[in-house]
Amino acid sequence: MKQSNVAISLILIGLAGFILLQSRNLAFGSLRAPQTAFFPTTLATLLLIFSVILLAQTLLGGEIRRGPDKIVAEGWVRIGGTLATMVGFALALERLGFLLTTFLLMVLLLRAIESQRWPKVVAIALMTALISYAIFGWLLGIPLPAGVLGI
Amino acid sequence: MSWEFRVDFFSNVALGFSVALSPTNLLFCFLGTLVGTLVGVLPGLGPVGAVAFLLSLTFKMEPATAVIMLAGIYYGAMYGGSTTSILVNIPGETASVVTCLDGYRMARQGRAGAALGISAFGSFIAGTFGVIGLMFLAPMLGRAALRFGPAEYFTLTLTGLTLVAYLTQGSMTKALIMTILGLLAGSVGMDPISGEERFTYGNLTLRDGFGLVPVAMGLFGIAELLENLTAIGPQSIYETKIIGLLPNLKDWKDSGWPIARGSVIGFFLGILPGPGPVIASFVSYAVEKRMSPYPEKFGTGMIEGVAGPEAANNSATAGSFIPLLSLGIPTSAIMALFMGALMIHGIQPGPLFISKYPQLFWGFIASMYIGNAMLLVLNLPLIGIWVRLLKTPYTILFPLILLFCLIGVYSLNANVAEIIIMLIFGVAGFFLRRLGFEGAPFILAMVLGPIMETSLRQTLLISRGSFSVFYTRPICATLLVLTAAFLIWPLFRRRKNQIGE
Repeated sequence: MKQSNVAISLILIGLAGFILLQSRNLAFGSLRAPQTAFFPTTLATLLLIFSVILLAQTLLGGEIRRGPDKIVAEGWVRIGGTLATMVGFALALERLGFLLTTFLLMVLLLRAIESQRWPKVVAIALMTALISYAIFGWLLGIPLPAGVLGI
Repeated sequence: MSWEFRVDFFSNVALGFSVALSPTNLLFCFLGTLVGTLVGVLPGLGPVGAVAFLLSLTFKMEPATAVIMLAGIYYGAMYGGSTTSILVNIPGETASVVTCLDGYRMARQGRAGAALGISAFGSFIAGTFGVIGLMFLAPMLGRAALRFGPAEYFTLTLTGLTLVAYLTQGSMTKALIMTILGLLAGSVGMDPISGEERFTYGNLTLRDGFGLVPVAMGLFGIAELLENLTAIGPQSIYETKIIGLLPNLKDWKDSGWPIARGSVIGFFLGILPGPGPVIASFVSYAVEKRMSPYPEKFGTGMIEGVAGPEAANNSATAGSFIPLLSLGIPTSAIMALFMGALMIHGIQPGPLFISKYPQLFWGFIASMYIGNAMLLVLNLPLIGIWVRLLKTPYTILFPLILLFCLIGVYSLNANVAEIIIMLIFGVAGFFLRRLGFEGAPFILAMVLGPIMETSLRQTLLISRGSFSVFYTRPICATLLVLTAAFLIWPLFRRRKNQIGE
């Protein structure tokens, strides 16, 4: 936990510095007439202060608590696979259309989390795509992208 | 109580019921409570994630219908959460954690029916008490808040955010950092006063700032789902026979006072900023243990340990609406989403809310009465179905929840960029949570950010740059003293602990 806390403190200090730099491109105004940069500059300064406090607490031993349970390799694979599938969904949605993308998403997720038998995977994925299309597209009238299938 | 007040009051209640009993509102109240119970029963998606997800579906609804449905989800989740706590020792949501202690023990002793029954009845009684409190207190506070100026609003939001950070479990420094990050996220987009763009880098999606729904879904929905993916093991559901859901006379005798105390504790703790229902349930449990002649038996299946906390968390849901509806200040992540739901329809909650939108306010109140009754009727006979649902493998449930998150966010503005924003916040939330940074102060600060900035800048403009306004106005001064106390107290506590060691 100590190393993670140091790392996150340094990232936050960097972020605060970045916001302070970016805020210089905006008008600050004065205390009598504060402008656009006034609030973010104040907040970035506070962020800097508290990140330094966190760093100091960690280094001086005041902020060391038991870290979370370690994620096993299998867990990382599941998380990575799920995230990649979701990013893929976002990128493919408007190109392939809702039905096809949803079907593929479900197939990949059902296989990625726990390898299940193909007939079961295809059946669940197909049913989910059709039912969710019926609910969101028809029943709730949400405009869903048609894509290559044209529906 | 004057005659005019009474006439006004009863005509408002009648107006509320005429709104809540319309077929559409009745249907959505039912759907809300049903979905809420489902969310409460299923671990993996909490009420915040569910409300965030369904927020996008409320755009086309009438404002009253939208709020009625979302409120149903909120208090429905409190009901549903207890079912899994009692039957399988898995709290469906955080406010039901404490119910596991005695509720599950009761189930193992073959008294699951009594535990579930008293939990449902206790929730109904407390929920009704909370609604009555809300009905009286919100208009009173709203009238008082009419005298608030920008300085009062600034100090009020400051105190609220500090209190949330103070109440957060774990490091206060981390909670304050999350609050500041939330305020910074809220400052992305157009300057609320000048309209100038900030930190958008020419991105059209960011011009209106980060959307509340993608951020909340990411921080609470996706982050939690990713956490669940770290360890998926075989689920073991304890098979228990549920015999008779009606508590017997002795159960009622033992639970009467805990329900009454839980209702009052929950209502007042719900008003305070922070995770009201969670704190209320823990405080109620502690009070019951202290007042019991057999405190050592708590944790072995005492019905008081179920009745009190379950009443408290339901009553707190009603209490938490008071600051939002009367001051326009949300005090928890879920209230921030309610504020978003109202603002999407162009309705600004605050001191004028009740007088400007009486149909909405009173309709919402009446729907909570009806919703609480629906839950009582709905939950007891459906317990068998909820238990069967719990046996659905997580490997199938998980992709479905994920798909709903993706569609929910996309359907907001048919914008793929919002899915990416949700994923970024999901990943950030996952890692931050593992490092002890909680999401609630962030989301609350993000919503309160624009209010806080506007009121601070207005105050400084009016006072010509002088900060004296904050300590010469009594409300501001009191709130600032409270803020300072919340910030300084942890330091004293640490020092005291060090001396003690």
